[in-house]
Amino acid sequence: MSRSVLIVDDSLTVRMDLAEAFEAAGFQALRCGSAAEARAALAGGTVGAAVLDVLLPDGDGVALLAEIRNAPWGGSLPVLVLSTEAEVKDRARGLHAGADEYVGKPYDTGYVVSKVRELLRVREGNPDAGSRTVLIIDDSETYRAALGGAFERAGYGVLLASTGEEGLRVAADRRPAVLIVDGMMPGIDGATVIRRVRLDAALRGVPCLLFTASEDGGAELRALDAGADAFVRKEEDVEVILAKVAALLRRPGAAPAPVTASLAGPRKILAVDDSQTYLQELSEALRDEGYDVVQARSGEEALELLALQSVDCILLDLVMPGLGGQETCRRIKAAPVVRDIPLVLLTAREDRAAMIEGFGAGADDYISKSSELDVLRARVRAQLRRKQFEDENRRIREDLLRSELEASEARGARQVAEARAALADELERKNRELEAFSYSVSHDLRAPLRSIDGFGRALVEDCADRLDERGRHHLDRIRAATQRMGELIDDLLALSRVSRSELRREPVKLSDVARSVMEELRRKEPERSATVELQDGLLVEADLRLVRILLENLLGNAWKFTAKKASPRIELGARVEFPGEPHFFVRDNGAGFDMAYAGKLFSPFQRLHSDKEFPGTGIGLATVQRIVDRHGGRVWAEGAVGRGAAIFFTLPSARSGGRS
Amino acid sequence: MSRTGIILLVEDNPDDVELTLRAFDKSKLANEIVVVHDGEEALDYLFATGAHAGRDAGAAPEVVLLDIKLPKIDGLAVLRRIRADARTRRLPVVVLTSSNEEQDIVSSYDLGANSFVRKPVDFTQFVEAARHLGLYWLVLNESPPLP
Repeated sequence: MSRSVLIVDDSLTVRMDLAEAFEAAGFQALRCGSAAEARAALAGGTVGAAVLDVLLPDGDGVALLAEIRNAPWGGSLPVLVLSTEAEVKDRARGLHAGADEYVGKPYDTGYVVSKVRELLRVREGNPDAGSRTVLIIDDSETYRAALGGAFERAGYGVLLASTGEEGLRVAADRRPAVLIVDGMMPGIDGATVIRRVRLDAALRGVPCLLFTASEDGGAELRALDAGADAFVRKEEDVEVILAKVAALLRRPGAAPAPVTASLAGPRKILAVDDSQTYLQELSEALRDEGYDVVQARSGEEALELLALQSVDCILLDLVMPGLGGQETCRRIKAAPVVRDIPLVLLTAREDRAAMIEGFGAGADDYISKSSELDVLRARVRAQLRRKQFEDENRRIREDLLRSELEASEARGARQVAEARAALADELERKNRELEAFSYSVSHDLRAPLRSIDGFGRALVEDCADRLDERGRHHLDRIRAATQRMGELIDDLLALSRVSRSELRREPVKLSDVARSVMEELRRKEPERSATVELQDGLLVEADLRLVRILLENLLGNAWKFTAKKASPRIELGARVEFPGEPHFFVRDNGAGFDMAYAGKLFSPFQRLHSDKEFPGTGIGLATVQRIVDRHGGRVWAEGAVGRGAAIFFTLPSARSGGRS
Repeated sequence: MSRTGIILLVEDNPDDVELTLRAFDKSKLANEIVVVHDGEEALDYLFATGAHAGRDAGAAPEVVLLDIKLPKIDGLAVLRRIRADARTRRLPVVVLTSSNEEQDIVSSYDLGANSFVRKPVDFTQFVEAARHLGLYWLVLNESPPLP
């Protein structure tokens, strides 16, 4: 994790103040007085977070922020904008440019440091979680240092705080593994610290150890009442304290820090009032508690701001010009994203009817402006705590739902996978059966044919003198039928092989394959002549072996059916289609066919010519269809009797949607 | 081992045996043809075991015509055993089959067949094939040196 924080501010005081605070919190601070210096520092690539002033001597902080967000690395850099321009429109500008947080001056250093740490934690996870860090809260500097030293020597990370309030903030910020607190302190005492920790959903799991110098016998009881896990007297040996802490840390379930934001963590409060004086007073009181306060002067401004930036609590004056408190409250409570934010109505009137109306508009609490500020702070704390518990519960419910959903998804996926595996097994078995069947067909069905043919021939040779013309004719017919049966078996096997062989796609030069097929045909019948036009450069992504069988059949047919023509013509070409795959075709000017039967052409054993006219088994085009199918393409025919035929086909590549 | 001029025909189909003998006869091959009817008997004959225990194992055939589909031990297994034994490692073996299944052809050559012949349905072609076989393996081919 990069612990460098870039501080960009033209004021030397602010730079020093913030740098000191960040360095005390364990960060490295990079100080820049101008946008130019900031750009140079950012180019170094070590910046983990940035605090930007809006008004810089050489430019505008918001413009610099936009630059950061546009940089490839800048999208996720936590950026906090710090400005004296805290009007709603200024905030809007900063937040629109991509600020993670917009803090108005005067600022609280504690808030700024905590907020930056929280932003980093959101992005990178809690760096301290699970570590052995001890937080010691004690007002005596001597004792703090002595105990801290002892823990450091024992290998712990040590955090120190001098008051209860500071201790709670450090705890929220750093999430220590264990908390040690003095019972007697000015301000809030140790028991109160522990009680607040126990009320905080983010911290309540942290083991707390309370120690005290008092001889009071009731001290231990009070400490345990407040929720302490252990109690020690100050005069006890440091070794005893170390042992107790070690024992607390061994406790199961104490380790993982919850993801919820802590109550004592950096909180932002929206205060809405038309009276500048009261707003100022209220803001100061709340800033003392460590809250960041955003001010709005009207209901309209408040709504505008909430559309840009979420807050943790809203204090809303009931009586204001323009959009009144009640209407503002109603609108906030009707908006889906912000309606969960605790809202406390403020009023000068001790009016029962107004109070009821306020609750009716959806307010979470109601407080009189004349109340003591302490009471107001306590109410705010109570609202924040309620909200935190709600969030925590919602998170737990969502986690539960999510894990249930994931479990049922996993179950579903498993069932699908099992069903698929079963289907694949079944298919595999069927394929094996088919293969065995074809194999035995090819071996066993041919053997008897060989015998019929062989012995027929033997009969002609050995018993010729006892056979007359008619007998020899019968034998010839028997042998011709045997031949045909043999061819049928061979073609059927070829067809089944086309269907079951694995499809291996590769770039295939269709034109070259066609050329080689034509040469073969010519070699078998060298006495024939034909005009053959094969378009050059036709390329497909297909199975080479199957493409060859396809062209053997198509060109073979064209060759066969043009045999009786005076000037036979055979053509292979492609029609380019936009959009879509090219339509390849093999065209001839041979016997052709009647388009009425075009649908029958591609079924096995369908023939449109007698065997006497043109011999064949009727499997060729069925094989062609099978090959085109396996490539995910289409095949169709055009023709006219006596004028030739054209067979069209497509061979889509696997990418363009062809099945494999 | 001595040269015998014997052709060993391993074939279980009696029709094919008769037609093959007839084809060799028609092509005027005077060599003695020994016929065995399954893979086990073929191995017994070659290694002078079992029913052929009394045979002189040194008298190896000139060529073996081996059908692929055989009862008991099939043709490819017989071929494997022939190639695995020092005495018969170099014996010329011609695989005969009804099919032209690619897998059969590939396996045969992988196992060391010297030739692969598909039995055609047409008897005339069969006689032709037999004649070529005889001519090549018994006349033209230079036999491997005797072990």
